[in-house]
Amino acid sequence: MQRLSKLLVVLSLIAALALAACTPPAAPAGEQATGGGQAAGGVTMSFWTRDSNQAQVRALVDAWNESHPNKIEITVIPASEYMTKVGASVGAGAPPDLMAVDLIYVPQFAAASQLTDITDLAKGLPYFEQLSPSHVRLATYDGKIFGLPFNAEGSYLMYNKGLFEQAGLDPENPPKTWGEIADAAAKIRALGDDIYGFYFSGSCAGCNAFTFMPLIWASGGDVLSDDGSTATLTDPNVAAALEFYRQMWADDLIPPGAQADTGTDFANAFTTGKIGMVGTGAFAINNIKTNFPEIEFGATFLPGAEGGASSFAGGDSIAIPAGSKYPNEAFEFIQWATSDEVQLEYYAKLNNLPVRTDLAENEYFAADPRLTVAAEAMAMGKTPYTVVYNQLFNDPNGPWLKMIQTAVFDGRVEEAVNTAQEEFTKILSGQ
Amino acid sequence: METTLEGVTIHSPGSRIRRRAGLIAWYAIAIILAALFLFPIFWSTLTSVKPPAEASAAPPTYLPSSITFDNYIKLNKYGAGIARYIFNSASVALITVFGTIVLSTLAGYGFSRFHFPAKNVLFIMVLAALMIPFQSILTPLFLLMSMVKLQNTLIGLALVYITFQLPFGVFMMRNTFDTVPREIEEAALLDGASTWQMLTRVMLVLVRPGIITVAVYAFLNAWNEFLAALIIMTQEANFTLPIMLTSVRSGYYGAIDWGALQAGITVTILPCIILFLLLQRYYMQGLMGGAVKG
Amino acid sequence: MATASSVIVKPARRGATLSQQRMIAGFLFVLPAVLFTLAMFIFPLIMTGWMSLHNWPLLGQATFLGLQNYVDMMNDRQFWASLWFTTQYTLLVTPPIFILAFVLALLVNTALRGVGVFRTIYFIPVVIGLGTSSLLWVWLLNDRVGIINGILLDLNLIQRPIIWLVDKNLAMFAIIVSIVWKTVGFSMILLLAGMQAIPDELYQAAEVDGASYWQRLTHIMMPLLRSTFALALVLSVIGSYLAFDQFYIMTRGGPQNQTITAVYWIFNNSFTYYKLGYGAALSIVLLVILGVLSIIQLRVLRDETTY
Repeated sequence: MQRLSKLLVVLSLIAALALAACTPPAAPAGEQATGGGQAAGGVTMSFWTRDSNQAQVRALVDAWNESHPNKIEITVIPASEYMTKVGASVGAGAPPDLMAVDLIYVPQFAAASQLTDITDLAKGLPYFEQLSPSHVRLATYDGKIFGLPFNAEGSYLMYNKGLFEQAGLDPENPPKTWGEIADAAAKIRALGDDIYGFYFSGSCAGCNAFTFMPLIWASGGDVLSDDGSTATLTDPNVAAALEFYRQMWADDLIPPGAQADTGTDFANAFTTGKIGMVGTGAFAINNIKTNFPEIEFGATFLPGAEGGASSFAGGDSIAIPAGSKYPNEAFEFIQWATSDEVQLEYYAKLNNLPVRTDLAENEYFAADPRLTVAAEAMAMGKTPYTVVYNQLFNDPNGPWLKMIQTAVFDGRVEEAVNTAQEEFTKILSGQ
Repeated sequence: METTLEGVTIHSPGSRIRRRAGLIAWYAIAIILAALFLFPIFWSTLTSVKPPAEASAAPPTYLPSSITFDNYIKLNKYGAGIARYIFNSASVALITVFGTIVLSTLAGYGFSRFHFPAKNVLFIMVLAALMIPFQSILTPLFLLMSMVKLQNTLIGLALVYITFQLPFGVFMMRNTFDTVPREIEEAALLDGASTWQMLTRVMLVLVRPGIITVAVYAFLNAWNEFLAALIIMTQEANFTLPIMLTSVRSGYYGAIDWGALQAGITVTILPCIILFLLLQRYYMQGLMGGAVKG
Repeated sequence: MATASSVIVKPARRGATLSQQRMIAGFLFVLPAVLFTLAMFIFPLIMTGWMSLHNWPLLGQATFLGLQNYVDMMNDRQFWASLWFTTQYTLLVTPPIFILAFVLALLVNTALRGVGVFRTIYFIPVVIGLGTSSLLWVWLLNDRVGIINGILLDLNLIQRPIIWLVDKNLAMFAIIVSIVWKTVGFSMILLLAGMQAIPDELYQAAEVDGASYWQRLTHIMMPLLRSTFALALVLSVIGSYLAFDQFYIMTRGGPQNQTITAVYWIFNNSFTYYKLGYGAALSIVLLVILGVLSIIQLRVLRDETTY
C-alpha cells in the first residue's frame, strides 16, 4: 500500500505539472522545434511529403544530406490524409519549412496566401523554360510563381502484351480509339472466366481524374472552362466517355471488384496478369519491373473517341510555406533537385520521369520505350486549374466520383452528368 | 448451481440425462461462438506469417506453406521503422494512463464521498465530453496545443487523450467508490485518519479493480487513436502506430501490400490483447462493479 | 496539488467546522479533473461555438456571419441525408448488439467450468481499436483476397465473390456485422454485471412459487436489469450516433455518398472543404441532438415504476 500511495503522490505531481504547463501561455514545456535545430555549419529544415512516392523522395533527401551542410528532416504523411494534415498545420501557423504537394493543390494554397513567392528565384534558373509546363502553370497565381515541379507523372494506358497475343491482337499495335479498346477488351475477356479486358478503380476519385479525364480531352471535350471558373460537364464528350465505360461495365469486361477499389488495388489487379488494360502512371513501370519481371507490358497514350491522345500531367510541386523559417535554404534544395545531374541520376535512372522536358530523352529512357511514352504523355498533358480541386475532383464524397459511379454502375448517364454539373457550379460559385 | 439462472441447468430435477445433454449443448454453443469471435484475429495473425506471395494471393489460400517473417521485414520499411512507432504509441498510452488514473481517482473520490456546491453541475460537465464528436473540437484543441508549445510532443498528445478518457474514468471511479461500504471509512476515521490518508491508505486498495478498468481503457484508446495523432504530430519520428498503419493501407500507388498490412494489424492488436489477458480479472471486476451502480 | 493535499491532511483546528472542511476537501479532490475539463474541453467547445458564427476557412481570414451557417444547414441536402443515415444506422445496429449481448450474458452467467475463458474470448474484440478492426474487416470482406468470399466460394454457396462494400444495403449489413463483433462483448459484460447483482433469493422464491425459466427471466431479471439496460443503451446509442471510423475506412462514404454519417460530414466540411465555421455549426447541432436523445432515453427508462 505504501508504494501505491507514493506512486500516487508522484503521479499527482506529474499531473499538476502537466496542468500547469497547460494553462499559462508561456510554459516552457518540452518544445520539439519543427525544424529549428542547428546542425554543424547549417540549419535543419523540415520537409513534408506524401507517402505515395516516398522511396524516391527518401533517396533524394539522403543524397542531399550527404553532400550539404544544411540538412533536411523528412516527414512522410499518408497520402489520403495529406491535405487534412497540411491544412490543419498551416491553418494553425505551424507549417513545415518546405513541402511537396500534389500540383493541383498549389492554386488553393497560393490563393490563401500560404506560400512564399519565388518568382524571381525561379525565373533565374537557366532551365526555367524547360520545366514541366503543367506544373508551372498550376504554380502560377496572380502572375507570381509559388512552386516548382518536384515529381512528374503522366497518365497513359498500360496493357498486358501476353494477353494481347493470346487474344489474337497485335501487341505492338495497341488500341487507338475507344472502339478499339472495347474490342480488345472483349477479345481478352473471352480468354477465360477470370480474365478481364479492362480495369479502373471504381471508388477512387483521384484515380479517375488521372485516367478518365484524358479520354474526354483527347476527344476534344473538357470538364472545366480554360480559366477554371465554369463547369462544362454537359459537353457531349463527357457523356460519351461515361457511356464508353458504362458499356464495358455492362458487357462484363471489367472485374466486378473494381467497383469497390478505392485506389489501393489497381496495380495489384494488373500484376495478377489477368487484366488486359488499365490507365495508370509512370510510377507503375518501376513497380512492375522490380516486383513482377515476368509480366510483359506495353504503354500507349489514352485515346479519344475517334483517335487523338491526351494525358493528365500530374505529380507533386515543391513549395515553401509562408511561415517557413529557412526560405532561402529551402530554395537551394529546390534548385538542386531540378538540376541536370539530379534529374538524370536520381530521377531517370530510377525509372522516374524528369520534371524537365529537355531531359525527357535520356540514356536511361532510351532503353525502355514505355518510360518515353509516359514522359511524352506528361509533356502533352493537361491539368485542370482550380482553387477547389479537392472538392470537385479528389474528394471521395465529391461530385466527380459520384458522377462516374452513377453513370457507369447504375447506368444513368444523363442524370449523372446533370447532377454533377449542378454540384460543380455550386462549388465553383463558392457556396 | 440449480438456483442460479443460466442456460444449462434448466430445471429438471433428477434428470441427469437431460442435464448432461444441456451441458454438452452449452459447451457446443459456447465453443462455436468462441471460434467465430476469434477467427478474424487468428486469420490476420496467421496471414502475417505467410510468405508475402501467399498473403496476397487471390483467391486466398488457407494454410501457409511455410512460416516466415518477411511481411514484418517489409512492414519495418515504412517510415521510421516499427520499433520507433511502438515506442511512441506505448509512451503516449502510458502517460495517458497515469494522467487519467490520477485525475479520475481523485475526482471519483470527491464526487462519491463529499458534498459541495455545484457538485452535480460539475459532474455533468465532466461527463459531457462523452457526447461530443471530438473531431469537432480538434481544431481548437490543436490551436491550444500550438499556443502552449505542446504540439508535436508525446505529452501534448497524451493531454488530448486524457481529456477524452476523463468522462468514462470519473464515472467509473465515482461508481466504484460508491460500492465501498461507508462503515470501512467510518472505522478509519475513528482511528484518526485524515481524508487524504483515508484515500491513500484505505480506499485505494478497495477500488483497485476500478482503477485498473480505467487504466486499461485509457491505454487501449490512446494506443489506437488515429486522427488527433495525425494532426498533432508534425515529425515522422513522433508518429504513432495507427498512422503507420494508414500508410501501409493507402499503399504504394495502387499496390497495397496485404501481408504487411496484416503484420501491422497484428503488431497493433497483440499488445492490447496481452494487456487485457494479464489484467482481465481486475478489469472485469471493475467494469462490473462500476456498471451495476450506474 | 501539493497545496491541496497539505490543506486536506491538516486535521480540524479552529474556524471551519468539520462539514465545511469536508466540503473544501471534496471540492479540491475534483478540482484537477474540473480544471482539466475546462481547459481542454469546455474552452475548445466555446471556441467551436464562436467559430460556428463565422465563415472560418482553415487557410485565410475569418469573417463574422452571425447565424448564417445555421441557416445554410437547412438547405444542406447532404446534412439531412447524413442525419437520417446516422439514425438508420443507430436503429439497425442497436437491436442486434442488445439481443446478442443479452443472449451471451445469459450464456456466460453460470459457474460452469471454463466459463471465464468464454467470457474473455467474447470480450477480446472490444480491446481492438475501431480503426484497426475496420481495416481488418475491409480485408476479410475483400472480393479478391478476402477469406469470407473465399470460404463462401469454396462451399459453393456463391458463384462469384460478393462485393460487400459497394452496395448501400450490403455495406450496411457488413459494417453492422463488424461492429457487433467488435462491441457486443462490452454490452455483454454490462448486462452480466446487472444479472449477477440480482440476489439468488429472488429466483429461489419464484421457483418455489412454480415460476418457469421463462417467467423468471421476464418477470424478475428483465425488470431488475432496467438501470443496466439504460446505461448500456445510452452508451451504445451515443456511440452509434458518433460513428465515423468504420465508414471512413470501410466505405469512404460510398457508394455515391450514401453512407456518410453526421460526424463524417462534419469531418468533411472541416478538413476536406476547410470550412471550419460550418463544421463547427454542424457539431453544435449534433451535440444538441445527442443531449436531447440521452435525456429522453434516461427519462423513458427511469420513469416507469421499478419493481
